[in-house]
Amino acid sequence: MMEKEPEKKDEQSSSSSLVEKIQQLGQVNVPQAPDTNIHVLSIIGQVEGHVQLPPQNKTTKYEHLLPQLIAIEQNPKIQGVIILLNTVGGDVEAGLALSEMIASISKPTVSIVLGGGHSIGVPIAVSTNYSFIVPTATMTIHPVRLTGLVIGVPQTFEYLDKMQERVIQFVIQHSNIKEEKFKDLMFAKGNLTRDIGTNVIGVDAVKYGLIDEVGGVSDAMKKINELIEQNSSMMEESRVIQ
Amino acid sequence: MILYTPLAQSDIFPPSSDDYTNRHCITHEGRLMLADRTSDGGYQMVQLLSTNPYDFLEERFTPGNILS
Repeated sequence: MMEKEPEKKDEQSSSSSLVEKIQQLGQVNVPQAPDTNIHVLSIIGQVEGHVQLPPQNKTTKYEHLLPQLIAIEQNPKIQGVIILLNTVGGDVEAGLALSEMIASISKPTVSIVLGGGHSIGVPIAVSTNYSFIVPTATMTIHPVRLTGLVIGVPQTFEYLDKMQERVIQFVIQHSNIKEEKFKDLMFAKGNLTRDIGTNVIGVDAVKYGLIDEVGGVSDAMKKINELIEQNSSMMEESRVIQ
Repeated sequence: MILYTPLAQSDIFPPSSDDYTNRHCITHEGRLMLADRTSDGGYQMVQLLSTNPYDFLEERFTPGNILS
Protein backbone atom coordinates (compact mmCIF):
# COMPACT_ATOMS: atom_id res chain seq x y z
CA MET A 1 0.00 0.00 0.00
CA MET A 2 2.72 2.43 1.05
CA GLU A 3 4.73 1.59 -2.01
CA LYS A 4 1.95 2.24 -4.45
CA GLU A 5 1.25 5.76 -3.23
CA PRO A 6 4.32 7.64 -4.59
CA GLU A 7 4.05 5.90 -7.92
CA LYS A 8 0.56 7.26 -8.40
CA LYS A 9 1.70 10.74 -7.47
CA ASP A 10 4.51 10.54 -9.99
CA GLU A 11 2.15 9.58 -12.74
CA GLN A 12 -0.09 12.51 -11.90
CA SER A 13 2.68 15.08 -11.89
CA SER A 14 4.15 13.80 -15.14
CA SER A 15 0.79 14.04 -16.88
CA SER A 16 0.22 17.56 -15.57
CA SER A 17 3.67 18.66 -16.75
CA LEU A 18 2.82 17.20 -20.14
CA VAL A 19 -0.33 19.33 -20.27
CA GLU A 20 1.72 22.36 -19.23
CA LYS A 21 4.22 21.70 -21.99
CA ILE A 22 1.52 21.44 -24.63
CA GLN A 23 0.03 24.71 -23.41
CA GLN A 24 3.41 26.43 -23.58
CA LEU A 25 4.68 25.56 -27.00
CA GLY A 26 2.60 22.78 -28.46
CA GLN A 27 5.53 20.39 -28.31
CA VAL A 28 6.07 17.37 -26.17
CA ASN A 29 9.40 15.75 -26.60
CA VAL A 30 12.85 17.05 -27.45
CA PRO A 31 15.81 14.69 -27.78
CA GLN A 32 18.70 14.85 -25.32
CA ALA A 33 22.22 15.15 -26.63
CA PRO A 34 25.84 14.96 -25.40
CA ASP A 35 28.43 17.77 -25.45
CA THR A 36 29.54 19.39 -28.68
CA ASN A 37 32.87 20.85 -29.80
CA ILE A 38 31.23 23.31 -32.19
CA HIS A 39 29.29 26.22 -30.75
CA VAL A 40 26.75 28.37 -32.54
CA LEU A 41 26.32 32.10 -32.27
CA SER A 42 23.16 33.46 -33.84
CA ILE A 43 22.94 37.11 -34.81
CA ILE A 44 19.28 37.82 -35.39
CA GLY A 45 17.00 40.82 -35.76
CA GLN A 46 18.67 44.13 -35.11
CA VAL A 47 22.17 44.57 -33.80
CA GLU A 48 21.48 46.63 -30.71
CA GLY A 49 23.96 49.29 -29.72
CA HIS A 50 23.91 51.98 -27.08
CA VAL A 51 20.15 52.52 -27.22
CA GLN A 52 17.85 49.83 -25.91
CA LEU A 53 15.14 49.03 -28.42
CA PRO A 54 11.54 48.31 -27.37
CA PRO A 55 10.97 44.65 -26.41
CA GLN A 56 8.84 43.87 -29.47
CA ASN A 57 11.98 44.24 -31.59
CA LYS A 58 14.05 41.14 -31.95
CA THR A 59 17.57 42.21 -31.16
CA THR A 60 21.07 40.91 -30.69
CA LYS A 61 22.73 42.69 -27.80
CA TYR A 62 26.49 43.05 -27.97
CA GLU A 63 26.82 42.94 -24.20
CA HIS A 64 25.49 39.37 -24.37
CA LEU A 65 27.61 38.25 -27.31
CA LEU A 66 31.01 39.68 -26.34
CA PRO A 67 31.30 37.63 -23.11
CA GLN A 68 30.07 34.56 -24.98
CA LEU A 69 32.86 35.02 -27.52
CA ILE A 70 35.41 35.29 -24.70
CA ALA A 71 33.98 32.11 -23.18
CA ILE A 72 34.33 30.35 -26.54
CA GLU A 73 37.96 31.47 -26.81
CA GLN A 74 38.70 30.32 -23.26
CA ASN A 75 36.94 26.96 -23.26
CA PRO A 76 39.32 24.24 -24.53
CA LYS A 77 36.38 21.91 -25.27
CA ILE A 78 35.08 24.31 -27.92
CA GLN A 79 37.04 23.87 -31.13
CA GLY A 80 35.03 25.90 -33.61
CA VAL A 81 32.24 28.43 -33.95
CA ILE A 82 29.48 28.79 -36.51
CA ILE A 83 27.91 32.23 -36.85
CA LEU A 84 24.31 32.23 -38.07
CA LEU A 85 23.26 35.54 -39.54
CA ASN A 86 19.78 36.77 -40.23
CA THR A 87 19.94 40.44 -39.41
CA VAL A 88 18.67 43.73 -40.78
CA GLY A 89 21.73 45.53 -39.46
CA GLY A 90 21.74 48.11 -36.71
CA ASP A 91 24.30 49.97 -34.65
CA VAL A 92 27.53 50.42 -36.62
CA GLU A 93 29.91 50.42 -33.68
CA ALA A 94 28.27 47.44 -31.99
CA GLY A 95 28.45 45.57 -35.29
CA LEU A 96 32.09 46.47 -35.81
CA ALA A 97 32.88 45.41 -32.24
CA LEU A 98 31.32 42.01 -32.89
CA SER A 99 33.13 41.68 -36.23
CA GLU A 100 36.50 42.46 -34.66
CA MET A 101 35.87 39.98 -31.83
CA ILE A 102 34.96 37.21 -34.27
CA ALA A 103 37.90 38.05 -36.54
CA SER A 104 40.38 37.87 -33.65
CA ILE A 105 39.24 34.53 -32.21
CA SER A 106 41.98 31.92 -32.52
CA LYS A 107 39.55 29.07 -33.19
CA PRO A 108 38.12 28.30 -36.63
CA THR A 109 35.00 30.30 -37.47
CA VAL A 110 32.47 29.84 -40.26
CA SER A 111 29.47 32.05 -41.01
CA ILE A 112 26.22 31.29 -42.84
CA VAL A 113 24.06 34.14 -44.10
CA LEU A 114 20.41 33.03 -44.06
CA GLY A 115 17.56 35.22 -45.18
CA GLY A 116 19.41 38.48 -44.87
CA GLY A 117 22.72 39.86 -43.68
CA HIS A 118 22.10 43.51 -44.33
CA SER A 119 23.99 46.69 -43.59
CA ILE A 120 26.30 46.09 -40.60
CA GLY A 121 25.62 42.35 -41.04
CA VAL A 122 28.07 42.48 -43.98
CA PRO A 123 31.26 43.01 -41.89
CA ILE A 124 30.01 40.41 -39.38
CA ALA A 125 29.51 37.88 -42.20
CA VAL A 126 33.00 38.41 -43.65
CA SER A 127 34.77 38.47 -40.26
CA THR A 128 34.93 34.67 -40.07
CA ASN A 129 37.63 32.41 -41.57
CA TYR A 130 35.18 31.19 -44.19
CA SER A 131 31.75 32.49 -45.13
CA PHE A 132 28.71 30.87 -46.71
CA ILE A 133 25.53 32.36 -48.07
CA VAL A 134 22.38 30.41 -48.98
CA PRO A 135 21.18 31.10 -52.55
CA THR A 136 18.05 32.95 -51.41
CA ALA A 137 19.77 35.22 -48.88
CA THR A 138 20.45 38.88 -49.61
CA MET A 139 22.84 41.48 -48.30
CA THR A 140 22.10 45.18 -48.52
CA ILE A 141 25.16 47.36 -48.88
CA HIS A 142 24.51 51.04 -48.25
CA PRO A 143 26.27 54.08 -46.78
CA VAL A 144 26.24 54.81 -43.05
CA ARG A 145 23.24 56.86 -41.98
CA LEU A 146 22.07 58.27 -38.74
CA THR A 147 18.85 59.37 -37.15
CA GLY A 148 18.58 61.96 -34.41
CA LEU A 149 19.86 65.39 -33.68
CA VAL A 150 22.63 66.78 -35.87
CA ILE A 151 24.36 69.80 -34.33
CA GLY A 152 27.48 70.53 -36.37
CA VAL A 153 26.84 69.47 -39.94
CA PRO A 154 30.44 69.49 -41.32
CA GLN A 155 31.75 67.72 -38.22
CA THR A 156 28.97 65.14 -38.37
CA PHE A 157 29.69 64.50 -42.02
CA GLU A 158 33.36 64.04 -41.25
CA TYR A 159 32.54 61.67 -38.40
CA LEU A 160 30.16 59.58 -40.51
CA ASP A 161 32.63 59.51 -43.36
CA LYS A 162 35.34 58.13 -41.07
CA MET A 163 32.93 55.59 -39.62
CA GLN A 164 32.06 54.46 -43.13
CA GLU A 165 35.71 54.18 -44.02
CA ARG A 166 36.24 51.85 -41.04
CA VAL A 167 33.43 49.59 -42.29
CA ILE A 168 34.80 49.57 -45.84
CA GLN A 169 38.35 48.84 -44.68
CA PHE A 170 37.19 45.98 -42.48
CA VAL A 171 35.18 44.37 -45.27
CA ILE A 172 37.92 44.58 -47.89
CA GLN A 173 40.51 43.24 -45.44
CA HIS A 174 38.41 40.24 -44.49
CA SER A 175 36.93 39.30 -47.87
CA ASN A 176 38.07 39.06 -51.48
CA ILE A 177 36.07 42.05 -52.70
CA LYS A 178 37.99 44.99 -54.16
CA GLU A 179 37.56 48.42 -52.57
CA GLU A 180 36.44 49.87 -55.88
CA LYS A 181 33.72 47.27 -56.33
CA PHE A 182 32.45 47.56 -52.76
CA LYS A 183 32.18 51.34 -53.04
CA ASP A 184 30.41 50.98 -56.39
CA LEU A 185 27.81 48.74 -54.74
CA MET A 186 27.51 51.04 -51.75
CA PHE A 187 26.83 54.19 -53.74
CA ALA A 188 24.81 52.69 -56.60
CA LYS A 189 21.67 54.61 -57.53
CA GLY A 190 18.34 53.23 -58.65
CA ASN A 191 18.53 49.85 -56.93
CA LEU A 192 16.88 50.62 -53.60
CA THR A 193 13.60 52.51 -53.42
CA ARG A 194 14.42 55.08 -50.80
CA ASP A 195 18.17 54.84 -50.51
CA ILE A 196 21.39 54.50 -52.42
CA GLY A 197 23.13 51.15 -52.32
CA THR A 198 22.67 47.63 -53.65
CA ASN A 199 20.80 44.54 -52.57
CA VAL A 200 23.21 41.71 -53.33
CA ILE A 201 21.72 38.22 -53.70
CA GLY A 202 23.50 35.00 -52.62
CA VAL A 203 25.21 34.01 -55.87
CA ASP A 204 26.20 37.61 -56.68
CA ALA A 205 27.76 38.07 -53.23
CA VAL A 206 30.08 35.17 -54.07
CA LYS A 207 30.72 36.52 -57.57
CA TYR A 208 31.80 39.91 -56.17
CA GLY A 209 34.15 38.18 -53.72
CA LEU A 210 32.25 39.36 -50.66
CA ILE A 211 31.33 35.85 -49.49
CA ASP A 212 33.46 32.74 -50.07
CA GLU A 213 30.86 30.21 -51.17
CA VAL A 214 27.17 29.54 -51.76
CA GLY A 215 26.03 26.83 -49.36
CA GLY A 216 24.00 25.80 -46.38
CA VAL A 217 24.34 23.89 -43.14
CA SER A 218 26.03 20.74 -44.45
CA ASP A 219 28.66 22.73 -46.35
CA ALA A 220 29.34 24.87 -43.31
CA MET A 221 29.68 21.84 -41.03
CA LYS A 222 32.04 20.16 -43.48
CA LYS A 223 34.14 23.31 -43.72
CA ILE A 224 34.35 23.88 -39.97
CA ASN A 225 35.39 20.28 -39.34
CA GLU A 226 38.05 20.67 -42.00
CA LEU A 227 39.31 23.89 -40.40
CA ILE A 228 39.28 22.28 -36.94
CA GLU A 229 41.39 19.42 -38.26
CA GLN A 230 43.86 21.85 -39.84
CA ASN A 231 43.97 23.88 -36.65
CA SER A 232 44.64 20.86 -34.43
CA SER A 233 47.34 19.47 -36.74
CA MET A 234 49.03 22.88 -36.71
CA MET A 235 48.92 22.91 -32.91
CA GLU A 236 50.39 19.42 -32.86
CA GLU A 237 53.25 20.52 -35.15
CA SER A 238 54.10 23.53 -33.01
CA ARG A 239 54.14 21.26 -29.97
CA VAL A 240 56.58 18.90 -31.66
CA ILE A 241 58.89 21.81 -32.58
CA GLN A 242 58.83 23.06 -29.00
CA MET B 1 -5.20 48.66 -41.16
CA ILE B 2 -2.25 49.37 -43.46
CA LEU B 3 0.14 52.15 -42.54
CA TYR B 4 2.62 53.34 -45.13
CA THR B 5 5.11 55.52 -43.37
CA PRO B 6 8.85 56.04 -43.19
CA LEU B 7 8.58 56.24 -39.39
CA ALA B 8 9.50 53.34 -37.15
CA GLN B 9 6.62 51.41 -35.65
CA SER B 10 7.75 52.39 -32.18
CA ASP B 11 7.44 56.07 -33.11
CA ILE B 12 3.79 55.64 -33.98
CA PHE B 13 2.86 53.14 -31.29
CA PRO B 14 5.17 53.95 -28.41
CA PRO B 15 5.68 50.92 -26.17
CA SER B 16 4.37 51.19 -22.63
CA SER B 17 6.96 51.42 -19.89
CA ASP B 18 5.69 48.04 -18.59
CA ASP B 19 7.17 46.41 -21.67
CA TYR B 20 10.62 47.54 -20.63
CA THR B 21 10.31 46.78 -16.92
CA ASN B 22 8.84 43.29 -17.37
CA ARG B 23 11.66 41.92 -19.52
CA HIS B 24 14.67 40.73 -17.57
CA CYS B 25 17.94 39.09 -18.40
CA ILE B 26 18.39 36.34 -15.82
CA THR B 27 20.58 33.31 -15.16
CA HIS B 28 18.64 30.10 -14.68
CA GLU B 29 20.43 26.77 -14.13
CA GLY B 30 23.66 28.36 -15.31
CA ARG B 31 22.20 29.61 -18.59
CA LEU B 32 21.68 33.22 -19.48
CA MET B 33 18.18 33.94 -20.76
CA LEU B 34 15.67 36.66 -21.39
CA ALA B 35 12.47 36.23 -19.41
CA ASP B 36 9.25 38.11 -18.80
CA ARG B 37 8.00 38.58 -15.27
CA THR B 38 4.51 37.06 -14.99
CA SER B 39 1.72 38.55 -12.92
CA ASP B 40 2.15 35.91 -10.21
CA GLY B 41 5.79 36.87 -9.69
CA GLY B 42 7.36 34.03 -11.67
CA TYR B 43 9.29 34.19 -14.90
CA GLN B 44 8.32 33.03 -18.35
CA MET B 45 11.23 32.33 -20.64
CA VAL B 46 11.48 34.37 -23.85
CA GLN B 47 14.87 33.60 -25.36
CA LEU B 48 17.81 31.44 -24.42
CA LEU B 49 21.17 33.14 -24.79
CA SER B 50 23.62 30.30 -25.26
CA THR B 51 26.17 29.28 -27.84
CA ASN B 52 25.81 25.58 -27.07
CA PRO B 53 23.44 24.20 -29.70
CA TYR B 54 22.48 21.30 -27.43
CA ASP B 55 21.08 23.69 -24.82
CA PHE B 56 18.37 24.47 -27.35
CA LEU B 57 17.39 20.81 -27.49
CA GLU B 58 16.75 20.62 -23.77
CA GLU B 59 13.10 20.87 -22.99
CA ARG B 60 13.82 22.83 -19.82
CA PHE B 61 15.04 25.70 -22.00
CA THR B 62 12.23 25.93 -24.53
CA PRO B 63 10.75 29.42 -24.94
CA GLY B 64 7.47 29.85 -23.13
CA ASN B 65 8.57 27.68 -20.25
CA ILE B 66 7.58 28.85 -16.80
CA LEU B 67 10.81 28.97 -14.83
CA SER B 68 10.74 27.67 -11.28
